[in-house]
Amino acid sequence: MAVLIRRLEEQDEVAPFDCGDEPLNNYLKRHAWANQQKSSIGVTFVAIDEGAPRTVIGYCTLAMAGAPRDAFPKKYDLPLSLLARLAVDRRFSGKGLGHALISEAFKIALRAADDVGCRCIITDAYPNRTAWYARYGFVPLEGGVEDGPQRMFLDIRTIRMALKTPK
Amino acid sequence: MTFKQVRKQTSQPKKARKSKFQADLAPAEDRMVRGLKEELQLGSNTDFLSDAVALFRWAVGERKRGHRIFSESEKGERKELVFPRLERIAPEFSLPRVEISWTTKELESLAELASREPADPTETLIRAMRD
Repeated sequence: MAVLIRRLEEQDEVAPFDCGDEPLNNYLKRHAWANQQKSSIGVTFVAIDEGAPRTVIGYCTLAMAGAPRDAFPKKYDLPLSLLARLAVDRRFSGKGLGHALISEAFKIALRAADDVGCRCIITDAYPNRTAWYARYGFVPLEGGVEDGPQRMFLDIRTIRMALKTPK
Repeated sequence: MTFKQVRKQTSQPKKARKSKFQADLAPAEDRMVRGLKEELQLGSNTDFLSDAVALFRWAVGERKRGHRIFSESEKGERKELVFPRLERIAPEFSLPRVEISWTTKELESLAELASREPADPTETLIRAMRD
């Protein structure tokens, strides 16, 4: 299976996508394209198998965001990349698609950091997925909404270090 | 009137220093390079690299201008080249900006984490950046 990751396109087949989580399925099927092309509030990158180049088997959605300045000693907004969603079709789980998608997200965030500035990646993880994100170095933020997702932080400098780590 | 021919003292232009390029190739990649060199009748790795760079540079330039790259068969069937690294430099790449909500405690926690020295990358992160 040769997997490619690219931006979501209008002709992509999203209807059969099923990651086992309705909100994530629903986002891809109903909102991802509109959010990308019309509202411009998130870009979705899809994983596809070269053998079926229109069928989406995994996706992640990214956007830029910020944290308000009042919280920081230098009094400027902290620019950040938001990994808003990441999901893999359950028929393809265990094949490394999640890893491929998050790897791509890191590289995109690094490029955003080089182009427009970005200090960290933030994601809102389901509580049962925090351990998976922690493997990549994401650290939980304290004080989130009870019963809500766990907001997690990864410093962009850590990602840059990973890129420069010799083999 | 006499003309005095003055020989201009020009210093020889410095030869641009050539840089060496070394790559560790997996056996399959090595076979691919050898096969391509044979097909393209390229005698040296230098010629191979030079041609590959020229082609890659062209592709980068095209995607940077927002052009898409296609191959077309005799019957007019088109295949688009989608190469993740090239997609990153396409002009439509830029990410939109959104507002997200924060609790006061989350912001304090973020400020604390962001002001620390960065953590060392985990093995999984290092692998992600190499893949």
